[in-house]
Amino acid sequence: MGRYIVRRLIAAIPVLIGLSILLFAYIRILPGDPCVAILGQHRTPAACAALREHLGLDLPLWQQYISYLLKTLSGDLGSSVVNSQPFLGEFLTRFPGTIELTAGALIFSIGVGIPLGRLAARKVGGWVDGLITGVSLFGVSIPVFVLGLALVVIFGVILGWLPTQGRIDARARFDATSGILLIDTLFAGRLDLFVDVVRHLVLPSIALGSIPLAIIARITRASVIEVANEDYVRTARSKGLKEKTVDNRHVMRNAWLPVTTVVGLQIGGLLGGAVLTETVFVWNGVGRWVVDAIQNHDYPIVQSTILVFAVIFLIVNLIVDVGYALLNPKIRYQ
Amino acid sequence: MKNLRIGAILGALLMVAGACSSTPAAKEGGTLIVALPGDIVRTDTALTDDSNSSYVIQQVVETLVGLEPGSTSKVVPVLAESYEMSADALTYTFKLRSGVKFHDGTDFNADAVVYNYNRFINIPTELQDYTYYIGAVFGGYGANSNLESATAVDGTTVAIKLKKPSSNFILTQTLPVFGIQSPTALALGKGDNTESDVTKITGAQGGAGSMVGTGPFVFDKWTVGDSVEIVKNATYWDTAHIAHVDAIVFKAVAEEAQRLNGLAAGEIDLAQTIAPVDAATIAANPKLQLIDRGSSFNTFQISMNQSYTPMNNQKIREAIAYAINYDYLIKTFYAGAAVKATNWMPAGVLYAKDLSLPSYDVAKAKALIAESGETDLTIDFWYPNDVTRPYMPDPKGIFEAITADLEAVGFTIVPNNAPWRGGYLDDEYAGKYEMWLLGWTGDWAGPDNFLKTAFFGYVNGAPSTEFAYKNDAVEAAMNAALAAGTEAEAKTQWELAQDLIRADMPTVPVANSKPQAAASIDLKGFIGSAGLNEPLNLVWLDRP
Repeated sequence: MGRYIVRRLIAAIPVLIGLSILLFAYIRILPGDPCVAILGQHRTPAACAALREHLGLDLPLWQQYISYLLKTLSGDLGSSVVNSQPFLGEFLTRFPGTIELTAGALIFSIGVGIPLGRLAARKVGGWVDGLITGVSLFGVSIPVFVLGLALVVIFGVILGWLPTQGRIDARARFDATSGILLIDTLFAGRLDLFVDVVRHLVLPSIALGSIPLAIIARITRASVIEVANEDYVRTARSKGLKEKTVDNRHVMRNAWLPVTTVVGLQIGGLLGGAVLTETVFVWNGVGRWVVDAIQNHDYPIVQSTILVFAVIFLIVNLIVDVGYALLNPKIRYQ
Repeated sequence: MKNLRIGAILGALLMVAGACSSTPAAKEGGTLIVALPGDIVRTDTALTDDSNSSYVIQQVVETLVGLEPGSTSKVVPVLAESYEMSADALTYTFKLRSGVKFHDGTDFNADAVVYNYNRFINIPTELQDYTYYIGAVFGGYGANSNLESATAVDGTTVAIKLKKPSSNFILTQTLPVFGIQSPTALALGKGDNTESDVTKITGAQGGAGSMVGTGPFVFDKWTVGDSVEIVKNATYWDTAHIAHVDAIVFKAVAEEAQRLNGLAAGEIDLAQTIAPVDAATIAANPKLQLIDRGSSFNTFQISMNQSYTPMNNQKIREAIAYAINYDYLIKTFYAGAAVKATNWMPAGVLYAKDLSLPSYDVAKAKALIAESGETDLTIDFWYPNDVTRPYMPDPKGIFEAITADLEAVGFTIVPNNAPWRGGYLDDEYAGKYEMWLLGWTGDWAGPDNFLKTAFFGYVNGAPSTEFAYKNDAVEAAMNAALAAGTEAEAKTQWELAQDLIRADMPTVPVANSKPQAAASIDLKGFIGSAGLNEPLNLVWLDRP
């Protein structure tokens, strides 16, 4: 297993180098000029030339790439061309927001998706199954931002039940320490704010969790149906075991495997989905930051965010693969 | 739709009526949540040139002279009690208020003002990317700066000497970038010109030494990309105007729909800017109020480049001006919150006069085309496809309406579009467009800012590549106006420049829009200004 992990890590290196080249090239191919983004209506040819020189954009592309690569390897991920804030510090202040949102969405999608899938499998072919399958299809099909806006309007604006923007009531002017507000508010002994943070998490978690929920529900359903038709389940049932025991001991234990894999893979998707969800819910996370950076042609921020997300994605995939191998002794990696 | 519009008008009338009724005593306390269209960029007033930063900074850092709330051009004393201009128009002597303290407890005095102005003259080259206004107002830095010197005459008197007269000097000094910050804080935050790497100037990055002024609010914290928080200055020198609210949180809310939702859900108290299309929804919501900012501070125009035929024909440009159905554009795209342009600058700008610009007259347009002698009436016409601007709320819709107007009088329009930051601004500036949609939001309410900076000033002694508009008499009049020693002389020269431009009709001004704000009905005391100089210490929240 150790050798497998090392081999996977080495294999990730060319992927990352390739990605860095692609990213670097792609962002520069995009039309637009950071000079316009920075100087706006005040740009003049002289000011633009000075700015390009200052930012190193007047150098040949390959020189820009080498300089970017060397800096990245030395841990310097650049700073914003718009407000000059260094990438790493800004990333670290926003990442907790994205983690909190991703966790909320994951809890929602697993907590609702798996019971729904089991229910659909138990009532297979019936109207409950049809309804759950239909809802799942809807969940996968609806774009995150459409669902997000609908949730905002219905539950925030019309019904007034839940907050629609930010991670915590701005009027509370709470000083976060770790950035994970669920933890920070508890440590500060502010139960009222903890509840407020949970309330702020509800709508974005539903919006972001809708697609994974649908996928998890469908996979759970399919997996449970498949296992339920196995001979050993029939045997267990014919032995006279209670339906609940058959379900928990014989069906679910084996049905978990594909579900676990899918859940792991959804984490990557959730990071991507966070970009839209954070924008809709004015959520201070990495996703909204990168949207702003793209709009401002803030090269260093876009480049470094995608690179860091790719690294996170690779690590998550590796963990999922390793977890899969550990869960299922039948699987052997050579 | 018609009902909505009537609703909007009624709502606006009710609002005005409400504002006119006697105001109850202000309530103290509470936190005001303000949604800005974007985040601030830096926390050092000198190193910013964007409207979001200015909007926040003006609450914290004060200038020597300011603008009367609600006005874009009426100068009032702030940190200076009064000022005098010398007979040669080169020296301005400011008498400062005494007993004023910076937020860090140090004294505001003549030395502090001198320190700040010396800083403006000597901004390091590497930082000049971030100090557009200082460069634009003083014509450069060091030896190139029009600022000769700033000297302390005594503890509360400062003499600022210019190298050549500049009739816009006092008006430009109302810009928030010329705010006076604590010298102690500037040194602490490395904003004292000793550091040329902006990332290391903590005072600009929200760290130590950030925004230490004398204003009614004190800087508290900046969560980059998300929000800025300022708190009430309980020991503000102007005791009659100590802030009513305890704190203000400025949130960056980029999407107009989210600002509207935030207002409706009660999570935002004041949206600094809203989309014109949302005005009717806001007016119809009893929990919200629409805020009219009075006059306009921008000009939207059909831009033209005279290096192309037939744009180089005055009669064609004049014909285009007659072909446009201005009323339709204003009603349809600005929800009425705009007026037909009567000049290249909005009416509130100094010396702006009504130039009797052409109004919608199809027959006149056709007659002018016939007189022009042009036979090829094909025009390449451009609009930006991915933005809205305060002066241009729906570029594509406006473009289509104008295209229809022009085709109705005989032009053949070749439609083109490009992304705003992805080529549009670069290409129009480089002279690659024959005709395109663009406008300008004022920086200061001087004619130079519109006529010279935004539109027709020569670049390096020659007509700009953007408009290729050549009229040496206009350039000479504008330069003479800026160098004028008296107001009367400046006025004469600016009026001459306007008349000359009107005769040439180099572009077609269309409208001056009035971007509105919206707020919770609980928000009281707010005075809107087209130039966004809006002091929030006057605001209070009518809530239990």
